[in-house]
Amino acid sequence: MRMPLLALLAKEPAHGYELKVQLEQIFGEAYPSPNIGQIYVTLQRLERDGLVCSQDVVQTTRPNKRVYELTEPGREALLRWMDKPSEGPRVRDDFFMKLVLSQLTGTSDRLGLINRQRRHYLGQMRNLSALATATDRRIPRLLIEGAMLHLQADLDWLQRCQEELV
Amino acid sequence: MRAIARWIRADLRVSTGQALAVVAVVAGVVTALLLSAGLLQGATNPWQGLFTATKGAQIWMHLTPGAGASGLRSEVAGIQTVAGPYRATAATLIQPGQRTRVELQAMPPVVPPSDYRPLRTSGRWLESGDVMGVVLESTFAQAVHATVGETLPLYNVDGTVRLRVRVIGLAETSEQGFYPDQTPGLIWVLPSLLHRIEPDLGHTEQLVGLRIANPDATVPAVQEVVAQLGSSAVGTVSTWQQVEQSMARRDPLLGLLLALFGLVALGAAILAIVNVTSGRVLVQHAELGMLQTLGFTPTQVMVMLTAEHAILTGAGVVVGLVAARLLTPLLLGRVPGVSAAAATVPGGWALVILGGTLAAVVLATAVPAWRAGRMWPVAAVRAVPPRGHLSRLATTAMAARMPPAMVLGARAAFVRRITAALTIGGLAIPMLMITIGLGFWATLDDVQQHPADIGLAASLTVAPGTLPLSQVDQLISDDPDVRAAYSGVKAVALAPGPGSTITTLGMGTSDRPYPFPVVQGHLYHAPEEAVATQALLNAFRVKVGQFVRMYFGGVPVIFHIVGRIIDSQYGGEVLAYGRDTLTYEGAPAPIGFYSVVLRPGVRPAAAAARLLRASGNRLDVAVVANPADQLGIVHAALAALIVVLALIALTSLLTASRVGIRDHQRDVQVLRAMGLTPLQVRTAVVVRTTVLALVAVTLGAVVGRASSSSLISIVSQVYGLGAGLGRPASASTIAAAMALAVGGAALAVALTTRSQDRIPATVALGP
Amino acid sequence: MITGGERLLLRAASLTKVFRGDGVPVPAVRSVDLALLPGEFVAVTGPSGSGKSTLLHMLGGLEPPTSGEIWLDGRRVDGLSQARWAVLRRRHIGFVFQFFNLVSNMTVADNVELAALMGGATRKQARARRTELLSELGLTGKADAAPSRLSGGEQQRVALARAMANRPSLLLADEPTGNLDSASSGAVLRLLSRAHAEGQAILLVTHDARVASSADRVISLFDGTIVDDATMPPAHPHLPLPDVLKLRG
Repeated sequence: MRMPLLALLAKEPAHGYELKVQLEQIFGEAYPSPNIGQIYVTLQRLERDGLVCSQDVVQTTRPNKRVYELTEPGREALLRWMDKPSEGPRVRDDFFMKLVLSQLTGTSDRLGLINRQRRHYLGQMRNLSALATATDRRIPRLLIEGAMLHLQADLDWLQRCQEELV
Repeated sequence: MRAIARWIRADLRVSTGQALAVVAVVAGVVTALLLSAGLLQGATNPWQGLFTATKGAQIWMHLTPGAGASGLRSEVAGIQTVAGPYRATAATLIQPGQRTRVELQAMPPVVPPSDYRPLRTSGRWLESGDVMGVVLESTFAQAVHATVGETLPLYNVDGTVRLRVRVIGLAETSEQGFYPDQTPGLIWVLPSLLHRIEPDLGHTEQLVGLRIANPDATVPAVQEVVAQLGSSAVGTVSTWQQVEQSMARRDPLLGLLLALFGLVALGAAILAIVNVTSGRVLVQHAELGMLQTLGFTPTQVMVMLTAEHAILTGAGVVVGLVAARLLTPLLLGRVPGVSAAAATVPGGWALVILGGTLAAVVLATAVPAWRAGRMWPVAAVRAVPPRGHLSRLATTAMAARMPPAMVLGARAAFVRRITAALTIGGLAIPMLMITIGLGFWATLDDVQQHPADIGLAASLTVAPGTLPLSQVDQLISDDPDVRAAYSGVKAVALAPGPGSTITTLGMGTSDRPYPFPVVQGHLYHAPEEAVATQALLNAFRVKVGQFVRMYFGGVPVIFHIVGRIIDSQYGGEVLAYGRDTLTYEGAPAPIGFYSVVLRPGVRPAAAAARLLRASGNRLDVAVVANPADQLGIVHAALAALIVVLALIALTSLLTASRVGIRDHQRDVQVLRAMGLTPLQVRTAVVVRTTVLALVAVTLGAVVGRASSSSLISIVSQVYGLGAGLGRPASASTIAAAMALAVGGAALAVALTTRSQDRIPATVALGP
Repeated sequence: MITGGERLLLRAASLTKVFRGDGVPVPAVRSVDLALLPGEFVAVTGPSGSGKSTLLHMLGGLEPPTSGEIWLDGRRVDGLSQARWAVLRRRHIGFVFQFFNLVSNMTVADNVELAALMGGATRKQARARRTELLSELGLTGKADAAPSRLSGGEQQRVALARAMANRPSLLLADEPTGNLDSASSGAVLRLLSRAHAEGQAILLVTHDARVASSADRVISLFDGTIVDDATMPPAHPHLPLPDVLKLRG
């Protein structure tokens, strides 16, 4: 949640409710509708980490709303996130976010994004291959083979993303 | 059922070319077979057909004018009907350069259906108003080149009466053998015309035909008639056996030839169809597998394929039948000595031929079709060539840097063993037959150019006509074109065995015998020595070196047969001796004619015309017909057969090439990857099939050449011409034929390979 | 990345291929630049329709380019005639396809021997090479079989043997594992790696990530153009594994 919010704020400052609406518009039914409470909590944490700053805006007919804005460290964190290949248990979600939100961040090099991710996956595949040749016990090999199959699937999906979004 | 029909329709639409090829091959073979059978029938047994068609008689006699012929039936036992008596007289026909003896027979215009009447083949029969109309006997008309509508000058024997008669028709008869084997030529006229030519009854004869109850009892019947009428009343007697023998003389050569050809052509066609079918099945493997996947049972697949080919064969059979019907009168009517009337194929034979062809093809289709149905669908889809090896020969050749396309192509030819064998068979047999056919052609050419080899040393036969003999002798020896002249006489002898008369020849003298070609023994050098043809030896059951007794007008003469000769001028049974053997009251028999041998290169017709002119049209000059000249139709028939055979061979070839191409499709890209250009890949395919063609053609030519002379010898031996006649085609002719065949094969295959410069779409299909 | 100055084994410049079918021309490869060093192992990946196979066929002389240059070992080859290309393939190039890699009417071993003979070996040399390659691939038992009798994986191994029988300077392969299960793919990959380790230059087209990742460089092709040319970092079998492998609990 953190990074998508930063990406949205990179375009322009917004308050929590606006961010929720934007998320819904961009991701549609693919993602569960974000909880406004969760958004606020995340925003507060981001502010605490210094990546965003907020301002109260006075409204005449309504209660005051808090407008959030991206800070310089925030921008840098965002760029770092964009440049680093996605990893970890939520790798697909993470990468997909990057890809979809890349235009907002001003680094609209989707192809480069995809290439970087692909290189990362290939590197991992290479490591797995080396590991597989290093061991000749069945069970670890099976596990490694499973990982390889997942990586193949990820790479194929990357191809699809490239076809559709580039 | 409907699905099967639909598949067959679709398949035929796709491979129309192949379907048409099958139809054409079958039609060609059926036509050839039917024509051969017709020819065989018309040639081997023309007498039988004619006898039936003309309501003929088994015995024909020429009686003196006064003999009581009319009373014969009632008074002689065993005689069913008597044909005639018909008045007959000798006459002369004079055409430019030719003067021929003929016999006029007076026939009534209207004949009851049950009576004897010559069989009309062209034009019309005599009608009561035909004052100047005549009907010529067919073979005679052919020999003298007379056609319907022509006007001919007819003279009586003295030359004193001259009539211009018009040929209104041609007919055939069973009374006498074919002209010029049996002379004179027959002309049928109205009694009024005969009377005008020869008013004197004393110079005429009566012709009667006797139909007897028991055909084999000719001898007793003749004896009875002689007893009844007195021997002085009986002139010449001829029996049906003689006529049949005469008619069946050399034409069976032709008929047997074509029958043999037809049978072997059928074999070759079957082989071709087997090739086509199994080839198509091989190529269609994938599709057949798919059909089974769709739900066709193996039986249905087999039924489908067999039905498809049965339909094609049926169509071919029908086309062949129609073609044979159309061609029979056109072709067979022209062959001399073959009765077109008798040349119809008896219904039984036709059914056998047609049924046999159909059955053969169905069987030839059923086996590969059954195998196709039995294959499991996946195996069908994946039909690949069997395992082959890169032989030592091939590796050596490749290591020796021979063109890889040649090496790969040549070895690929023999990977599929059975297919290769069938293809080679399918090409070798036609080549064999073509080679034998070329041998026959060469023999015919030989006979045409060297007539002396078949007993035709003399080109002209000159009879005195109205000139005294001394003048005739003078005229002949004065002529610059004459090389030699041999005096001759025909003497009718009664042969005790067969009980009939044969015409013997006194040719030349014992000091100067006529140069018959002797194949065994030697010519006669003394009186009462004689030579004979094989046919005569067969008839009398004697061999060279033995003796035979004949009666000449009651006087017995014992001949010592010293040699066997070949003759084709005088009819099958020939006995020849020196004229000085026959003596009438101490003097040698009078000269009847001269056989004149011309200098080489002289045209007989020109020499004949000159002699005739020199004699003031008073000599009887006839050009001796070279049977080979009349067999022009044989050249056409041989050419046609060669075309049919080539078509059959081409079918086998194209099938083999199609299989080879399909096998090759899979290999195209790997061969290119290994470093062959597309042209080389295509060349390999062409080489593959060409190698097979080369092997087959060589095999066929070698065997053909080896067997053609023995084949011809056998046939001519059986039919009385004796052995030694056959000559195989020259080596250069055969070599040219082989080159043509192999070159044509290569070209045909090269044209059917499509350009394969790109990686073929087969890459996209599965393995 | 390739830097200038090194002697390249293979170089393609502005290589283009446009297929002119009935009507609309289809550009399969658009102005591709490529370079390969001797002994290098390069993989080309991309979706189907990206022009990978066409590119490979052009580099092997099986398809004429519409425009562009190809240099093989310093020699310009794109304009060569069919005959010259054929000779080139005999001696310097080995080609492996996805299917139909073997001549169907001779045994497996004969296929290998034939390739060696065409490459210029003597009979003895060819025979020796065939025995050597087949035993290296563990196929000596199947040497006498017809190609159709072998499984897909075995056929591809033989195909590799066939392609390497003439000791080519460049091995080109089009989806060599495209048709195979993972076990067979692994076997083929091991062979490729071993050949590469022995100095064989390889350029192959693949969609198999495992095969691609074993190359020195991975080129990504998309819609006829190169979108990425990544040099693979050396493998570290002891790097932390992706999280999926961390067992819970």
